[in-house]
Amino acid sequence: MAIKEDVYTRIFKIISYVIIIMASIACLLPFLLIISASLTSNESIIRDGYHFIPQQFSLEGYRTVFTFPEEVLRAYGVTIFTTVVGTTLGLFLMTMAGYVLARKDFKYRNAFSFYIYFTTLFGGGLVPWYIMLTKYLGLLDTYTVLIFPGLMTPFLIILMKNFIRSSMPEELFESAKIDGAGDFKIYYRIVLPLSTPGIATVGLFLALAYWNDWFSSSLFINDPHKYQLQYYLYNVINSMQFIAQMGAGTGVSLSSDMPTESTKMAMAIVVTGPILLLYPFIQRYFVKGLTIGAVKG
Amino acid sequence: MTFTKKRKQRMSILIAVMVIMALLAGCGGGSGNSAQKANGEDDKSQKVQLQFYMLGDAPKDLSTIEAEINKLAEKDLNATVKFNYTTWTDWDQKYKLLLSSGQPIDLIFTADWTQYQAYAKKGAFLPLDDLLPKAAPALQKFVPQDMWDGVKIGGKIYTVPGTYKEYVTNGFVWREDLREKYNLPKPTDIKSYEAYMDGIRQHEPNMKTVSLNSDIKGNLHDRYTELVTKSIGALPYGIGIKYEKPTEVYKFWGSDEQKEELNTYKRWADKGFIPKNVLNVKDTLQDQVTSGKAASIFGDNPTRFNDMVIKLKASHPDWKLEYYPFPLTTGYATPVHPIHNGFAIPKSSPNPARALAFYEKLVTDKRYNLLTQYGIEGKNYEVKDGYYHMIGSGSSNGFSREGMNSWAWRNPEYMLFDSGFDRVKKIFAELDKIQKPDLFTGFAEDYTTYQAEKAALEQVEKQYLYPLQAGLIDNVDQGLQTFLQKANQAGLEKIQTEYTKQWEAYVKEKGIK
Repeated sequence: MAIKEDVYTRIFKIISYVIIIMASIACLLPFLLIISASLTSNESIIRDGYHFIPQQFSLEGYRTVFTFPEEVLRAYGVTIFTTVVGTTLGLFLMTMAGYVLARKDFKYRNAFSFYIYFTTLFGGGLVPWYIMLTKYLGLLDTYTVLIFPGLMTPFLIILMKNFIRSSMPEELFESAKIDGAGDFKIYYRIVLPLSTPGIATVGLFLALAYWNDWFSSSLFINDPHKYQLQYYLYNVINSMQFIAQMGAGTGVSLSSDMPTESTKMAMAIVVTGPILLLYPFIQRYFVKGLTIGAVKG
Repeated sequence: MTFTKKRKQRMSILIAVMVIMALLAGCGGGSGNSAQKANGEDDKSQKVQLQFYMLGDAPKDLSTIEAEINKLAEKDLNATVKFNYTTWTDWDQKYKLLLSSGQPIDLIFTADWTQYQAYAKKGAFLPLDDLLPKAAPALQKFVPQDMWDGVKIGGKIYTVPGTYKEYVTNGFVWREDLREKYNLPKPTDIKSYEAYMDGIRQHEPNMKTVSLNSDIKGNLHDRYTELVTKSIGALPYGIGIKYEKPTEVYKFWGSDEQKEELNTYKRWADKGFIPKNVLNVKDTLQDQVTSGKAASIFGDNPTRFNDMVIKLKASHPDWKLEYYPFPLTTGYATPVHPIHNGFAIPKSSPNPARALAFYEKLVTDKRYNLLTQYGIEGKNYEVKDGYYHMIGSGSSNGFSREGMNSWAWRNPEYMLFDSGFDRVKKIFAELDKIQKPDLFTGFAEDYTTYQAEKAALEQVEKQYLYPLQAGLIDNVDQGLQTFLQKANQAGLEKIQTEYTKQWEAYVKEKGIK
């Protein structure tokens, strides 16, 4: 027999449902607007503004995007590649760093921790960073530059270190040592399996950072074939704004291959679409990673 | 005890890090492959790759064009070229980084709107005076001497100016079919333009009479000063200088002239010409007209007007656009200043001589020029009756006309035009009759002494002047007083004095009277 809910629980439920429904509508409406705009003819968007139901149905936006589909697909490829490689490599490096810094018998751990922590307080600024990567490391226009700078995030290293330190007692390492395990064996046989929740959290942060990254492309990539997805989209939308800003003073005439409003919207759909379809299937991992991370902080 | 030990550790780590940094710095030092001999001569037997930097987006077929150009350049100059594009996203920041980081760059685009004058003054570019006769004698001859003189900053040449003469002066753009239909006057000055807009308001109440967007200063004020107060250029900080009297600097802000200007906008706003939400509109001025949302533009240049006509011909053949250039009213037209389009060699260039030699080819050699301006003949374009004709459409063709943003190395002798461009040529021919030199663009402002005041003033302008210029303030006189008061607090006096001093020095140096 079902237990009857008391009044307060029911009121609470009703209120929370209402809030959630409103919040999801607030999230969905803009997206619907984009879909509708991508199916509207460009002229109608400028003349009548955006509507939830296209005033003048047209597929020209999608047609323009798919005249050169390889560009979007290539950008997709670059982003997937950097995300996968960056996350894997970054996780490897950061768990290693976290483990080493968590070991109490590592003599310089405080000094190293301080050095890592210090960089979160004082950065060199944009220009030295740019000079370092382009001039001294020669990374301009390479895939490395999209991955390399994000590999070791001080905050995530500290997170990893604290996680390992708090969840694994020193005695564990000691007993493993007595049993004859070397440092590296301890790392991959004991530390790694025990820190999956931490790895999930850090991995999630890393993957999101790589997926959403556009700034590295913006600064360091000149070859349009190596643009990341987010930057590709951002750039298309920006070119239009540039024209509006420059006004008539320059005589710059770029009208021929300017993306129109509907093309921009169609592009947004094409770019975000696949992730949207994928999201319901991977969502539970996201939730898991975040909640575990939250409890373990 | 433990404290000192810790400190020692920290020090040793710091030193270790520094050593590593220094090592890294040492490794990558020689990334630019220079072919300069010890005496500064260019060693042509050594193959080099030139780095070429452009603004904007790369055309889709860039790699094919680059390969073709490299085939030629390898034979002629033993060099290859890499064309790099900054895109329009944060381009000004990237431009700054490119020039300040000391990256090996051989050629970079310059213009007045990319602050050529300021960068040249700061020493970002290589002076070309000695290099030109040695590395690119044909180019030196090709560009007329008065253009070389025009781009000089502090007596030195820092950029190779583009030689194509065009006018980016403004003019009224309006819907001629509507004007004829309702028998309205032709806009030639503020009065007739207002009458035209009145008529549109009356007969087409759903249409915007004038196309505007959030850039109110550019859309209204800059156009207004060009047409009515005959200003020497788009002057900052409330400075006023008239074209007829270039040596006389006066205070435009607070003057009767400005009051009249602001009252005009107020009237327009009251009549509903300027929408209340104008500071939020993001559509381009041109789109608003070609989509039929707006009936006119208060000032656009002939080339853009032509682009609109061509666009309308395809989508709305029954609409007609007409154009009236401001210079016909003001009595003089200024062709673009040589600084408006050019290419400079940054200080960091490892091969300045070869870069200049390549640029000479780009401008004077027909094969190079046509390839980089129009693409591959037969694939990207064809020539019909002497006119340029694009193959396919803008979205299917990988290289549209001037698709490389190649405005700076246009060569008037080889240039191909779309047949629709005859309209622009006709306007240019008219303006040629009343042309006078641009006196303003050669001026290089140096704001290091009043940088803080400048930033403060910009904020004040945004907050107090823009609403006035959009006609949003009910009491114009009072609004202007408030603005002036705030501007004075921000340090207007100091800025104006400094600016005036610099301007007077410039006028004297160039012998402008």
